[in-house]
Order: sequence, then C-alpha cells, then structure tokens
Amino acid sequence: MASDTLTYWDACRRGELLVQRCTACARRVHLPAPECPRCGGADLVYEPVSGHGAVHTFTVVHRSFVPEFRGREPYVLAWIDLPEGVRAFGQVVGCPPERVRIGMPVRVTFADDLPQWRPA
Amino acid sequence: MRDRAAVAGIGMTALTRSSGRTELELAVEASRAACADAGVEPGEVDAVLSYHLNDSAPVVQVAAALRIEPLGWHNDITGGGTQAASILGDAAMLVASGLARTVLVYRALNGRSGTRMNTVSTGPQERFTRPYGMAGPIPMFALAAQRYLHETGLTEEHLHAVVAQSRENAAANPRALRRDPLSLEDYLARPYVCSPLRTVDCCQETDGACALVVRDARLAPGAPRIHAVVRGGGPGCSSMDRSPDVTQIFSGHLAPLLWERSGMKPGDVDVALLYDAYSWLVPRQLEDFGLAARAELGEFLLRRRHAAVNPHGGLLSEGYVHGLNNVAQAVRELRGDRETALVTGFGGSYGSAAILTRGR
Repeated sequence: MASDTLTYWDACRRGELLVQRCTACARRVHLPAPECPRCGGADLVYEPVSGHGAVHTFTVVHRSFVPEFRGREPYVLAWIDLPEGVRAFGQVVGCPPERVRIGMPVRVTFADDLPQWRPA
Repeated sequence: MRDRAAVAGIGMTALTRSSGRTELELAVEASRAACADAGVEPGEVDAVLSYHLNDSAPVVQVAAALRIEPLGWHNDITGGGTQAASILGDAAMLVASGLARTVLVYRALNGRSGTRMNTVSTGPQERFTRPYGMAGPIPMFALAAQRYLHETGLTEEHLHAVVAQSRENAAANPRALRRDPLSLEDYLARPYVCSPLRTVDCCQETDGACALVVRDARLAPGAPRIHAVVRGGGPGCSSMDRSPDVTQIFSGHLAPLLWERSGMKPGDVDVALLYDAYSWLVPRQLEDFGLAARAELGEFLLRRRHAAVNPHGGLLSEGYVHGLNNVAQAVRELRGDRETALVTGFGGSYGSAAILTRGR
C-alpha cells in the first residue's frame, strides 16, 4: 500500500521520467500513487515515457509563496498532458514566460534532478 | 430538515487587517452580537459549531467565555471556505434531530495579521509540486483560472467587470475593506500574483469574526429559513493530476443536487451570495447554477447583469471571514425585500451550497 516514490525520484536523478502503469487495467497512473485510482489495482510498475507533452494549463508566478523561490520570479508552473494519457507537473523553462500558451508542445528536460518542460 | 431551522441572529466584529485581539475575543464579540440580534441570552444556546484550520479559538473556549453551561453538542469542524454553506446544514440537522434548539455558529480568524491562508497546505500532491515553487491556494486556482479563460473565451476585461462590480457593491457598505471604484486601467495596472490572477482578483485577507444563531424555526418564525443545504464534490481543480476538467469546481457537482433538494430552479433565486475568493469563481458559479449560460457569460459580465451578486461586496471587497460573512449578508437580504437567497462555500472541487428563504 505504501507509495513507492523512491523509484520515481531515483529515475529523475538519472534524467529519466517514469510513469506508473497499472498491471490490472493497463492504464498509466501519474502523479505516483499507491493504488490505481481507476480500478484499485495495487500492482503498479514504473515505465519510461516518450518525454513529449503539451501544456494543459499554466500560471506565471510573479509572487512566490515558497520562501526559497522568492526572488526567482517570474517562473512558469504548468500541468502537461502526456500522450501516454496522464498529466505531469513542472516548470516550463527555456522560453520567456510570456510565450507560454495552452496547447504548446513541450519536451521533458531535467534541472535540479526534477523533470521540467521546454518548448519542443 | 427543510425549513425546520432559521437563522435568527447575525453578528460581526469590525473587519480589519490588524485586529490587535485574539481569535477568542473576536469570536466572543461576534457571538454576543449574534445572540443579541436573535434576542437570546448566550446561556440559552445549547450547541456550538465552528470551522477553522487550527487558526481560531476552539468551541469549548468560546462556549466557556460566553458562560454557556452546561455545553451541549459542540464541534470544531476542519475546513475553510468549503464549510461556509454546509455549516448551516450541520446546525439545521442538530435542530431537526431534536439535539439542539439554539445553535451558535462562528468563524473567527486573524487572517491577515495572524495565520495567513496563502501558504496553507493544498494536499498530499504537494510533495510533487512544491519542489517546483508551488505552495498555497493561489497558484493552484490560478492554474484552473487560466484554463477556464481559455475554454470560455473570457478575458481580463471580464475579470475586471467582476472585481469592479464588487467594489461598486461595497461602496455603500461601511464594513467593507475595499470600497473605491476600480477602472479597467487601474485594474490592468495591478500586479499579478500568479497569472491570470492579479492582486485584486484575490479576496482580502482579513482579521475578524462572524457568528450566526440558528434556531428551531418555531422559536423564530419571522427569521430566514434554512430551506436546503448540499455538500459534496468530485473531480476537478482539487485533483488536476487526474481530472479531465481542471476548471470544475464544487458547484458543477452540487448544483443539480441543490435544485433537486430545494424543489427550486435557478430563476427562483433573487440574490446570490457566491463564494468569490477569486474573481473567476463568479462566472464559474453563475454558469454552474444556471444563472447565466456559458455562451452569454462575457456579455452578462460586461453588462453587469451580475450586479445583484454579493450586494455587500463579497469576499473580494467586504472581507474574508471564510464565507460566513456572505451567509450573514444572505440573512440581511432576506430581512429586506428578497425572497430566496443562494449562498455557497468553495473548497476547490469540493464545497457546499444552501438556499435560504424569507421568514413567514
């Protein structure tokens, strides 16, 4: 029942984005979860994804509520639709914040051991 | 529980940005005012309810300070805005079940000078979002707002119409923290917190308290009745990782249930007290409750056909007593010339809604 997020974070450190797959219903599951939110299956395995995606929605943070991020604004937070059928989170980097649009194609990139997204 | 309970009294402290007083003092002042307004002695209260996020005075302390002895049913309910309408249901259930006849309900907080909401936990998904610089409700609901504008075609001009109308409505309200007009030019000059939400698209963090006295309607026949209350939710902006529609909020889930339980329809509502912690929640709820169709939302807002929403200025302009001040306004409206009020409580895609009707 315990959520195995170590595998996820370890892969991030290697520069690899892993997304769970439910062995019972074959659906992909993300963010990492201890059980499949759809069928309840408890056997979830991590598998790599293509790293492609599109911006589902975003916000440009001009005033951060995370102390260690103050002074680093503006930065872009976004939910990214992956073709594997799940949604991932991250910053959109590598372009000015004002260029980010809903629907914009992006690719995963890694910074600070975290998956981030840059224009494709 | 339909019409079995009535809101017999309301009380509020001054709303400020620095009360200089404890939450207990604020709660006691508002509670005494609500009892006086209801024409009851605090000692006649036999149940006490509050909702908070460990940022307030617990009900036993408030009951002791008011010398409510012995204390009957009492509960501290966890939650913020999500509870604003359903706390009426909790009180009405106590009345309808015979467990209480006179229920004191309050929300007291030093929301500006004490514990602020802007870094409150948004749930277990935070371990995957905080490392990117996300914390608190504003970026979360900004993400939903951005997608909502995209899907509806609404723009900053429409958000301005919401905020400007709120300021106009507050102009004659001496309790309101923000009463000055807001031109489109002024609005556009305000800084973003998290786009598309500017400072003025977010409600006023507030110090203050609001209290209600809910009684068996037979004891307060002329008081506004608690006609129907619903609480619930589902997928939406509270679970953006796996919700098909991240713009969904509580009202999309609850509106059909509210009409069913109340036996009413949108056209029966003549004043809407919508939980307006963020400007975009007004069109979202107008649409969900059937008060305006999506296709006409833009025109609806620009023509200010929402002028009757939150006639006191709501949370955007009066202040933010976590929505209970909107319930108090519903009662004032029903004591005036209004017949039917809708009041809502927002907690992302979970929340509550109530219909109050004029006393008899």
